[in-house]
Amino acid sequence: MIPPEMPFSLIDKITELLPGQEVTAEKTLRGDEQYLKDHFPNFPCMPGVLMLEAMFQASCWLLRQTDEFKRPIVMLKEARNVKYGNFVAPGQTLVVNVQVKGQPDDNLWKVKGQGTVNGKPAVSGILLLEQFRLEEKLHTPAAMDHVCRRNYLHEFDRINQSAAVETA
Amino acid sequence: MRWYWIDRFTEFVSGSHAVAVKNISLVEEQMENYVPGHPLMPGSLNIEGFAQTGGLLVGEHGGFTKRVVLAKVSKAVFHRYARPGDVLRYTCKLEEFNDNGANVNCVSHIVGPEPGETLHLEAELMFGHVPPQPGMPDEMFESQDFLAMIRIMGMYDVLVDADGNPKPPPQHLLDAERDRLAEYVR
Amino acid sequence: MTTREEVYEKVQAALVDALGVDDDEVTPDATLVGDLVAESIDFLDIVFRLEKSFDINIDRAEMFPEDILTNAEYVQDGKVTPAGIEELKKRMPFADLTKFEEDPVVQNFGNLLTVSDMCRYVESKVGVAG
Repeated sequence: MIPPEMPFSLIDKITELLPGQEVTAEKTLRGDEQYLKDHFPNFPCMPGVLMLEAMFQASCWLLRQTDEFKRPIVMLKEARNVKYGNFVAPGQTLVVNVQVKGQPDDNLWKVKGQGTVNGKPAVSGILLLEQFRLEEKLHTPAAMDHVCRRNYLHEFDRINQSAAVETA
Repeated sequence: MRWYWIDRFTEFVSGSHAVAVKNISLVEEQMENYVPGHPLMPGSLNIEGFAQTGGLLVGEHGGFTKRVVLAKVSKAVFHRYARPGDVLRYTCKLEEFNDNGANVNCVSHIVGPEPGETLHLEAELMFGHVPPQPGMPDEMFESQDFLAMIRIMGMYDVLVDADGNPKPPPQHLLDAERDRLAEYVR
Repeated sequence: MTTREEVYEKVQAALVDALGVDDDEVTPDATLVGDLVAESIDFLDIVFRLEKSFDINIDRAEMFPEDILTNAEYVQDGKVTPAGIEELKKRMPFADLTKFEEDPVVQNFGNLLTVSDMCRYVESKVGVAG
């Protein structure tokens, strides 16, 4: 059975990933995305919250790879000081870089991210992420975590173009 | 996916606050494979709901004559994660407003399907008034389409001024709507 | 009447909320742009929070005189002219411009404004005891 794709993916490819430390990834705005019809009819550009989502999803892959997909679910718990700069127009690529700033708790990570378009700042912000298994937090059967793991691993294989890191 | 992240306004007091409802549905595109086996609403799309409710609150206070864009999310704190079937009520209060922009305080409660209300998300958003600049059109929307959109969202079913009197759309939007209608009737 | 301490606490809270920094990073001598990494977009947020906190009206140009710093009359070769310095002094009596006067490079101005300057500005607007 081929796992379904993730329509709400804001990551086209991961170019660099250092477990526990940082990740760099890209999202290109193709121009045929349906939401551009509404955002905005006379001036299509990537919605600010999707730039935030791109930083968030890059962080998700970093955290999943860091703990070897043991806790497959990552959700946005807090966002701080998310600022917007230059627009991302159709055809342009948002490059996001996120760095781990700390781990306030076993299940909580603090990261700092920025996104650039043609080298110019598009978005920056601080995110607090919660990482967990469905079983422990939402009381679903343990099997659902396996399904998540398998689907996420499939998606990660599809987008990961970072060099393998030698673990000590 | 279209880019409407609120379904309908239920309350709107010009220059003060706006309340909108968002129903989260299993059929929404972002649910597929985002959290396999237990769909959850991406937090960024809740923040967009605030941006739309708050942005229209700011825009309406300026008579829809200025371009309003989301400039900053100062803070967003999720107390829980929303899921399909949840009915969210977004309440946005206009805190500050001037020629440069506005600050809006936002809170989301889960008000259905179970009775009662539960705190879901709190956020502070800052909007900027974008002056005319090269490379950007004067209007992000065609006026008559913009008015149609906010009518669909129920703004003019509930919009009142500070005294509680129903408030109509601004003249320039009504003119565009009338002109468009004239084309159809010809 | 508001005390100096109350002003400092409220200014500190406004900067923590607007800039996403920690309490202990907001010291009296910390510069807004250099130490606290405030950007143009943050200036508006800071103004809004101070207005709300102290129930005052703030003209952003009083704290962030971008109009003087980008005016060809007051800036030459990237440095603020003596006439420009006079304008800045008039606009911002609460700020200590002596260091800037020694080397008035426009780029460096952003690094001038400290948390203390901001407190003094608010004090002048609010009226402070002690």
